[in-house]
Amino acid sequence: MPTLIVNGQPHAVDIDPRTPLLWVLRDHLGLTGTKFGCGAGSCGACAVHVDGHPRRSCQITLREAAGAAITTIEGLGASPTGLRVQRAWLEEDVSQCGYCQAGMIMAAVALLVERRAPTDADVDDTLAGQLCRCGTYQRVRRAIHRASAEAAR
Amino acid sequence: MSVWYLSARAAGDPPCLGGGGAMSPRAMVPERTRREFLRATGQVGFVLAFALRADERSTAASRAAADALAPNAYLRIGADDSVTLWCTRSEMGQGVRTTLPMILADELEVDWTTVRVEQAAMIPAFAGIDLRTSGSASSAETWMVLRRAGATAREMLRAAAADLWHVLGTECRCSAGAVVHAASGRTATYGSLATRAASLPVPDRVDVKAPEALRLIGTAVPRIDAPRIVRGEATYGLDVRLPGLRFAAVARAPAWGDRARSWDASRVRSMSGVIDVVPVTTGIATGVAVVATSTHAALAGRDALVVEWTAGPNRAFDSEEFYRRLDGALGEPGLESRHQGDAPGALASAARRVERRYLSPFQAHACLEPMNCTADVRSDRCDIWVPTQAPEVAQRLAAEVLGLDRGAVRVFIPLLGGGFGRRLFCDYVPEAVEISRAVRAPVQVVWSRADDLVHGFFHPAEAHHLAAGIDRNGRVVAWTHKVATSDLSMYGPSTDTNPRRYAEDESPWGAFDNPYVIPHMRVDVVPVESPVPTGPWRAVEYPGSVFARESLVDEIALVVGRDPLDYRLELLRPFETVRVGHQTIDRARLRRVLEVAAERSGWGTPPAPVAGRRVGRGVACNVYHGGTHLAQVVDVSVGASIDDVRVDRVVVAVDCGQAINLSGIEGQVESGVMWGLAAARHTAVTFRAGRAVEGSFAEFAPPRMRDAPRIETHIVQSGTAPHGLGEQSVAPLAAALFNAVHAATGERVTRLGRRP
Repeated sequence: MPTLIVNGQPHAVDIDPRTPLLWVLRDHLGLTGTKFGCGAGSCGACAVHVDGHPRRSCQITLREAAGAAITTIEGLGASPTGLRVQRAWLEEDVSQCGYCQAGMIMAAVALLVERRAPTDADVDDTLAGQLCRCGTYQRVRRAIHRASAEAAR
Repeated sequence: MSVWYLSARAAGDPPCLGGGGAMSPRAMVPERTRREFLRATGQVGFVLAFALRADERSTAASRAAADALAPNAYLRIGADDSVTLWCTRSEMGQGVRTTLPMILADELEVDWTTVRVEQAAMIPAFAGIDLRTSGSASSAETWMVLRRAGATAREMLRAAAADLWHVLGTECRCSAGAVVHAASGRTATYGSLATRAASLPVPDRVDVKAPEALRLIGTAVPRIDAPRIVRGEATYGLDVRLPGLRFAAVARAPAWGDRARSWDASRVRSMSGVIDVVPVTTGIATGVAVVATSTHAALAGRDALVVEWTAGPNRAFDSEEFYRRLDGALGEPGLESRHQGDAPGALASAARRVERRYLSPFQAHACLEPMNCTADVRSDRCDIWVPTQAPEVAQRLAAEVLGLDRGAVRVFIPLLGGGFGRRLFCDYVPEAVEISRAVRAPVQVVWSRADDLVHGFFHPAEAHHLAAGIDRNGRVVAWTHKVATSDLSMYGPSTDTNPRRYAEDESPWGAFDNPYVIPHMRVDVVPVESPVPTGPWRAVEYPGSVFARESLVDEIALVVGRDPLDYRLELLRPFETVRVGHQTIDRARLRRVLEVAAERSGWGTPPAPVAGRRVGRGVACNVYHGGTHLAQVVDVSVGASIDDVRVDRVVVAVDCGQAINLSGIEGQVESGVMWGLAAARHTAVTFRAGRAVEGSFAEFAPPRMRDAPRIETHIVQSGTAPHGLGEQSVAPLAAALFNAVHAATGERVTRLGRRP
């Protein structure tokens, strides 16, 4: 039986190991913060961190994710960068409908962990996979730069 | 598993204080008897009780009935100083769950950080209150209702304090959740006064605050749901969980009118997690549902299901062929919508004529949260959780399917992962009810991304033919605007043969309410039938009409050798207020936003060059139903090909009347710009063989981070009542953008959207 380590907690999950991680999180572990937008790896709403790397949870199976350290939006606040990004998101009042924001934030945190002071081009490239139908991109960009500036302080 | 409580708190959100004001006439509030008040609070307790676990129910109910002030359905002050405000519109990103409680909280005089917002529902506590969310009308429609509601509670609390202290109410001041008697220094919190206040008669007449006393309205207040959203704790439709919940996905008819003839469920029934396979006969995309214990199992089961379809009459429908038909229809006489003077005559005798055709293709809403509905059908009642803009429609449709009274159907509204008009239709409600009844369990029907893009309702395609007659002085003396399009089919097959129906509906928006001073004008509609299910999409008729109108004005300006912005001002002179049908167009306000947009964009100075690219700047403006007046200036750079367009900056000047939430206004302006940009250059729906081709975000591809321009919002205060902003920023974008492209390249774009 595969064991998933999600936000620091181990879970024994007795379901088809081909099940995408997205649905394991949402339907079997009660963690609905990670969102379903397309199931095809196109929109980024399902983004999580697997061993610190940003991954689309609709594109990894339970078998592939077993044993890795998975962080979802619910557990993001446990990290300093995660908390800083969440705070920047609130200060810039980024969210509109909010449905894409969990994935957006996960992608932003991954970028800031990798690059302390991302340029606009870095933001364009890294956030290219994150779709926002409400069009909050301008504030997302500002929030990322704000979090980066906070870290530098 | 406990029921998830659909609620939000504002605790910890710092308020941003600033100025702001509006006119505040005295207003009437109907008196409620004490009995009505108690029943109302009992119902409020019921709302809380429903969502709590069984062991908490009785406590909540008794608490609500005994120790609270709740003179209306919108608010409750608890004896524990809790402040609960109910939002009576659906939150889809436009910010109503913040804006509307702000209106209440300002009048009520409570500290915003203490406010807790709950969502209204289709339950008896909200009987008689309109919960429908459309037309960007939420703040305008609720403005005085909520102000009076908040003021009523405030006055009852003031009277309670005066009663307690044996002083005059006029000597008491309400502030930050307490009443203060300055002369004696006594204070009492609202909570401590709640029970006493609740024993007083509800006043039938209250004063709302004077403009200078407004504290929250006119400031920037962050989204009340934002803290939960960034922690992944916000509940959307797909996040609703109930004990014993099943999930369903539906294999849907390939083309409209196709019917499921037979299906082989044998293999699917043996798949892991699959519970049942049942037909779906309601809604507009009928078929066969696979019901399972998890979403993945339902989707996998549905994908494995083999269904034989009987072809309906629409398998030949092709959108390009339809566009040719629309173009041909422009040559036919239409139904008159607006007529002043003698447009055909004036056009024929004009010194010059400028004429153009435009095409606006089919579009999809493509909310990021796919359509879904959770239904729990019992023998004599039904509960529904659905992210919807029209809960009253959801209730009615469910009751019809089940043969129940509407009162037996409750509808709860979680957050909407985007609405944009798509969630007005409730086509996904009857199918959820049908399936839940069939399997005798609560069921969440999930639409996949392909389901969401291919099935459901679309924005209808439109072809526009505009012709303008210009006199020797370069003035527009005649204007004809003909639109060939399908009527919105969401309202059912049209039995309306009244030839005046467009005139009476003051439609098409943007063509009927042309804001310019033109002595001879004629607007016609040629209705063309199509099998495509169509309905309201963000800004509805405005985007197509305004694209055509503002593009032609631009073209005329250049033909007569005038600056396009100055020319628009000429067309608005002498800046009077006019009635067009039931709408009031204030040309002075439109002038103002054009001037502000010009000034803030540096209109008089050429745009800065961009190495290796051609640069250009364009302008467009619009008035939405005589309410919000808005102008946009767009800067673009174009590469060697006209398909290589970068939008560098959009400057927006917006007059939305009384500004309520400055952060929200800016957000909606940006959102509308991005929506308009998507429709102008990035998205379109193609139909082939009676079916939408675009079934993924790779094919229906809204703009990404790198496509987003810098957007600058300038709010022009006009001191009137609030108007809306959910849609208003969409309408002028395409014209401003393609006017800029023309300025850069000399080429005119007359067809919107991504090419097939």
